[in-house]
Amino acid sequence: MCGIVGYIGERQAQSILLNCLHRLEYRGYDSCGIAVGSDVEVYKDVVRVKVLEKTSPSLTGVIGIGHTRWATHGEPSQVNAHPHCDCTGKIAVVHNGVINNFQKLRQQLTSEGHNFISETDTEVIPHLIEKYYDGDLEKAVETALREVDGSYAIIVLMAGEPKLVAARKDSPLIIGVGDRENFIASDVPAILNYTSRVIYLEDDDIGVVTTESIKVRRDGAEVNRKEHKILWSVKDAQKAGYEHFMLKEIHEQPKVIRDTISGYVSMAEPIADLALLGDAGLEDMLILACGTSYHAALIGKYIIEELIRIPVRAELASEFNYWGQTSARSRTIVITQSGETADALKAMKRLKGEGCRVVAITNVVGSTASRIADQIVYTRAGPEISVAATKSFIAQLMALYWLTLPYSKIDIRRLDSLVTGLRQLPSKVQQVLDNEAVISECAKQLSKYQDVFFISRGINFPVALEGALKLKEISYIHAEGYAAGELKHGPFALLGSDTPVVAIVAQDNTYEAMLTNIKEIKARRSPVIAVVEEGDEEVGELVDSVISVPQVDAIFSPVINTVVMQLLAYYTAKQRGCPIDFPRNLAKSVTVE
Amino acid sequence: MKQAVILAAGEGQRLRPFTVNRPKVMLSIADKPILQYVVESLAQNGIRNIVLVVGYRKEQVFDYMGSGEQFGVEITYVTQEKQVGTAHALARAKEVIEKEFLVLPGDNLIGADTIAQFVAIKPEAVLVKRVDNPVRYGVVTIDRGKVAEVVEKPEQAISNIVSTGIYSFTKQIFDFIEPELGLPDVINNMIAQGHSIKARETDGTWLDVIYPWDILNLNDAILRQIQTNLGGTIETGVSLKGQVSVGKDTVIRPNSYIAGPVVIGNGCDIGPNVCILPATSIGNNVVVSPFTQIKNSVIGDDVNIGPCCTIQDSVIDKSCIIKGHFTACSGENEVRINHEHHLVSVGAMLGEGCSLGNSVVAQPGVIVGNYSQIQPLRLISGKLPDRSLVF
Repeated sequence: MCGIVGYIGERQAQSILLNCLHRLEYRGYDSCGIAVGSDVEVYKDVVRVKVLEKTSPSLTGVIGIGHTRWATHGEPSQVNAHPHCDCTGKIAVVHNGVINNFQKLRQQLTSEGHNFISETDTEVIPHLIEKYYDGDLEKAVETALREVDGSYAIIVLMAGEPKLVAARKDSPLIIGVGDRENFIASDVPAILNYTSRVIYLEDDDIGVVTTESIKVRRDGAEVNRKEHKILWSVKDAQKAGYEHFMLKEIHEQPKVIRDTISGYVSMAEPIADLALLGDAGLEDMLILACGTSYHAALIGKYIIEELIRIPVRAELASEFNYWGQTSARSRTIVITQSGETADALKAMKRLKGEGCRVVAITNVVGSTASRIADQIVYTRAGPEISVAATKSFIAQLMALYWLTLPYSKIDIRRLDSLVTGLRQLPSKVQQVLDNEAVISECAKQLSKYQDVFFISRGINFPVALEGALKLKEISYIHAEGYAAGELKHGPFALLGSDTPVVAIVAQDNTYEAMLTNIKEIKARRSPVIAVVEEGDEEVGELVDSVISVPQVDAIFSPVINTVVMQLLAYYTAKQRGCPIDFPRNLAKSVTVE
Repeated sequence: MKQAVILAAGEGQRLRPFTVNRPKVMLSIADKPILQYVVESLAQNGIRNIVLVVGYRKEQVFDYMGSGEQFGVEITYVTQEKQVGTAHALARAKEVIEKEFLVLPGDNLIGADTIAQFVAIKPEAVLVKRVDNPVRYGVVTIDRGKVAEVVEKPEQAISNIVSTGIYSFTKQIFDFIEPELGLPDVINNMIAQGHSIKARETDGTWLDVIYPWDILNLNDAILRQIQTNLGGTIETGVSLKGQVSVGKDTVIRPNSYIAGPVVIGNGCDIGPNVCILPATSIGNNVVVSPFTQIKNSVIGDDVNIGPCCTIQDSVIDKSCIIKGHFTACSGENEVRINHEHHLVSVGAMLGEGCSLGNSVVAQPGVIVGNYSQIQPLRLISGKLPDRSLVF
């Protein structure tokens, strides 16, 4: 997905375009750019809109186009960012969609003398328009698009032409109607600050927009597209019915898992070659990450140790940068959602410098991490808006499972049942979501306290850490994740009726030990909320509240239990009236050390 | 007409177990929820401003329909907390609607052609259709093109013309809405107070789903319209006949025989040596093991079907795990829904997340509740509640 916008009127275009681009950032944010004025001045960069706002020079003009990108063809770079121009720099185009036959068009145009500078599919459009332009921009756009096979929503700006030309096919595009000014955008919320009157373009429509007029043509004939009045507010539009992006993203997880599985399976081979990472077989492994991704790394340690049976170290990149030792023979995995986390990048550079081979797991195509790494595993979570990571974390876990399974040393029966279990995970996660009401009730309890402990053992210990982190992050309640066995070495002093404990109890070799721990905690009168597998009858007898989760192989239990932690944190924060999507003092990707 | 209100809040209680975790509008037919067909029909008629009244299990609608962008429409959601009646549901949308608008049921299969002419006429109007079993619906008596009266589910129908639940209204309707009323009552109120409401007849697609086995009828009707579209990998030696649609990342392994109309979703692993016969829909991420035969059935997402199974005229909801040699043959049997008894010809109906051991045999018409577990070599029949354990 990408977002596009256009403005023509009597006001200065630059600030209006940037304002609209802000609202389109949910469609992608790896780079952005604008083209402004009758002389088509372009400014673009691999930054968020907020940064572009500060860095861009003041461009004068009352006409312009803008774009915010989520890379598909060509990595995010300044040259690949939109708008794209023709050879003369007089025609600028912003595009959302995918052009299937761009290779062929590009070859043909190159042989005709056109000069291409980016790796994008989009760039063929301005060159095609240049080729067909004979004084009538609209006709040139129409002729150019006849050669294009694919999906597109485009806006064209040309020097000396006091109009914008827009067209769509299988990608969304609307025209906003103002007074002596008009707007074009990928979606309605982008322009709702300026106007609530909207015209929806249909597939194959070509719109010609000037300050005073809007004309829509189709197959050469003018058509009448009715104006709609928008009655809803911008706030909720992109949240698709949900109150917060975080809850929407939590609910996207079954789909993220399903898409990830079918994407990885269809490659029919290991998604990254772990064995080739060094000069010998797999002997040990190092996983580095920060924040929530570090918890994925810790779970990765358990997954790899159990399935491949080699020792694994999981470390915080920010610590490793100053102290950690490694040998050139170590295989390393670096996990970073944004691919831009400064500490993770620094660690990667050091590892590369020491001769290690690095696999990066990241959600952003072409991010800095993906350029440094030897091999990249892309998670398929899509853009994540909420500062608290949810679906990207689950996608990281899925990547770790797939990375590991081809090298597993477990017997074929277990492997078969794991593959079946993996395919069932989307539905199992959906079952947790269907049970939201119970979790929301427990959250009401939690919201009354100032301090909460999260405990577990084994592969779910990192889930306890993640549960505590989520709660801190969005509900501002002080929380600590602890390995259940460690509680008696100090934290017991803090337990009491005003310090609740959330216990994650898995059906694995830690079960009995967890029961003992829960009894010890109950003896200190702490309220206990237990997350247990369906059908468990023992834990319910001991604790105050029970959240039942569907049965899965213990190795997949972190996926299920993490979703419970996310919902618990979400509903607690909601109960306390916190600004869930944008918690205080926090940013989505941390690009400073 | 530019705006439409779709009523999507209802549960569909008689469709349990399939509606325990989803509203009726989200029942999957040929790999798409019923609601999507309604939205697509509206978009094809140029109506892109859509208000969805949601309620029961509304998150399922949010998750699938999103902001509507994927379907070329703009969706505004309003919530009906308690499902007390269709008029009450419509009243929830009062704040977000324009002068004139359409109202449609989200749980009926409505073709684009069905409403093509209706969208052009001035309100108020109701779209009617001739059906075989009018007593299930609101029977409409018509006098010179105008509605004279609507009688909901009469004991004896005086005509076979029924309301499709598709209306064209102006904001005036809100003056007649009282809580706890159905829209037919509101129509009768309006007529009683001197309003004239046009009746327009359609012979286009309009199908309702009331009982679990109706899913099979709708599936058959939709599949008749599909086009061949092969994504994924079709390995050598696979025979494809008729119209077959295969999603991306799906693998069909050698010697499988697929006779369309058949729809198979994304990321499935089918075969080798699997036989899929007409009027079958298979969801996403489904595994079908060798020597299994599936005919006229609806299989949900994430289902895993073992080797040598026979599945006919059956509905299997998502994430069921079925081991080898499962037999669900079709036959005529009496099925009880609430206190009604129905003689139907059908195979097995399995709720979501069921797990079946090897060699389970299903009696025709069996309805198995969600998350049930059946041990190997068992014969299942009748109606099993959710989370049943058959040892």
